[in-house]
Amino acid sequence: MTTNSGFLLDQVTVTRGETRLLDAVSAHLPVGHCTAVVGPSGAGKSTLLRLLNRLDDPGSGQILLDGIPISDLDVLDLRRRVGLVAQQPVLLTDRVAGDLRLGQPTLGDHRMCELLERVGLPAGFAQRRTSELSGGEAQRVCLARALAVEPEVLLLDEPTSGLDGVSSGVIVEAARDHVAAGGTVVLVSHDLAVVRGIADTVLVLEHGHLIAHGHPDEIDYLEAGR
Amino acid sequence: MTGLAELGWGGVAASLVLVALAAAVACRQRLHLTRELIIASMRAGVQLIAVGALLLVIFAHAGLPGGFAWVVIMILVAGQVAGHRGTGLPRARIAATAGVATGSVVTLGALLALGVISAEARVVVPVGGMIVSGAMQAAGVALRRLCEDVQQARPAIEARLCLGLPAREAFLPHQRSALRTALLPAIDSTKVVGLISLPGAMTGLILAGVDPLTAIRYQIVVMYMLLAATALAALATARLAEHALFDHAHRLVPLPEPT
Repeated sequence: MTTNSGFLLDQVTVTRGETRLLDAVSAHLPVGHCTAVVGPSGAGKSTLLRLLNRLDDPGSGQILLDGIPISDLDVLDLRRRVGLVAQQPVLLTDRVAGDLRLGQPTLGDHRMCELLERVGLPAGFAQRRTSELSGGEAQRVCLARALAVEPEVLLLDEPTSGLDGVSSGVIVEAARDHVAAGGTVVLVSHDLAVVRGIADTVLVLEHGHLIAHGHPDEIDYLEAGR
Repeated sequence: MTGLAELGWGGVAASLVLVALAAAVACRQRLHLTRELIIASMRAGVQLIAVGALLLVIFAHAGLPGGFAWVVIMILVAGQVAGHRGTGLPRARIAATAGVATGSVVTLGALLALGVISAEARVVVPVGGMIVSGAMQAAGVALRRLCEDVQQARPAIEARLCLGLPAREAFLPHQRSALRTALLPAIDSTKVVGLISLPGAMTGLILAGVDPLTAIRYQIVVMYMLLAATALAALATARLAEHALFDHAHRLVPLPEPT
């Protein structure tokens, strides 16, 4: 691993109309780490996440992945390397199996069972109708769907928001496993207990500014939630 | 003697009694529609007389080029009308105009190339009008459905993009849904033609004294050509709308909030 590994944000600014959603943010999100992005609502956390797989582009500044500007990478390839799980689970087909195969059409039954197991769901779940799932189950299927593509980086936008304890625990555990296997996780969360439990590095955003960046023990913002 | 084929202006004037009857019903029932009904009737009369006069000039003096020019004008007007259904979508009027043009030109071209209709202005203009009208409705319905879908389904489209799917695949379910919505009315009316309705072209021909078997042959061609025009116009419109909805990085462009 070199110092260039992972995402490097260099003076990244995003503007919508008159509002600066992110203002000259520079940070390193190292590979093989879980980086949590915290801050009050409207701080620019989700905006930052959407930049990393190019659902949006910055107005100025640049973002590098392993030393290469992401704007120079093939965007479809980038999105397969950098998976995103949104806050609101959206299932896209009738059956769980259909969703899991959406990004990976050749996904075999055995691998599908493994993925479901990783998110704490039984193998038979693949044949369940997506319309019958609870919010927690749907979010876990969304995580498994993202993992099916085998991304290097997993972007999680409030993945435990509004979920029961079991589903939250499973998602945190899956994120931890991803990091343990050498992957990278970038987590946006209001749940400071989750952040303290999983993050190696924390970025604190406020009104689009990066106001703190460091190990969870060094971040005062996390103390407020204790 | 072919009955209504000899309808004169006196007959047209006499039929105003029927407008008066409808106006009397609207007035007596206090529908507040009497004025609108009379204006609509007058307007329809004036519009049709003007168009009839123009067609008379085209048929007599402008020949086939004039007929085609008239069809082009119809396509441009239809594109504007259908494009209005996609307000909020980028370049909706261009997509609709190109969609109507594709459906109309291919269908009319095929009818001419196959020798189904003769290459005369008096044939090209009315047949072109029916084709353009069908294409306009299909393009408008497809655009409106896409507009509603894209505004509601941004999270679903972005979820597909996040899996590395290209814009076309991410958008495909919505495109299919728009095409189905645009095509179903044409398919339904094709299914029941003759059973619960005697369509306009056939009715007109029979009234003009043409024998029913000949009229039916024309109507069959009309139904088939409308299916083709509808399918092609809806597909071309949806594909062009898709191009306008996504940028080079396979991202859904920002759209104005629905009003």
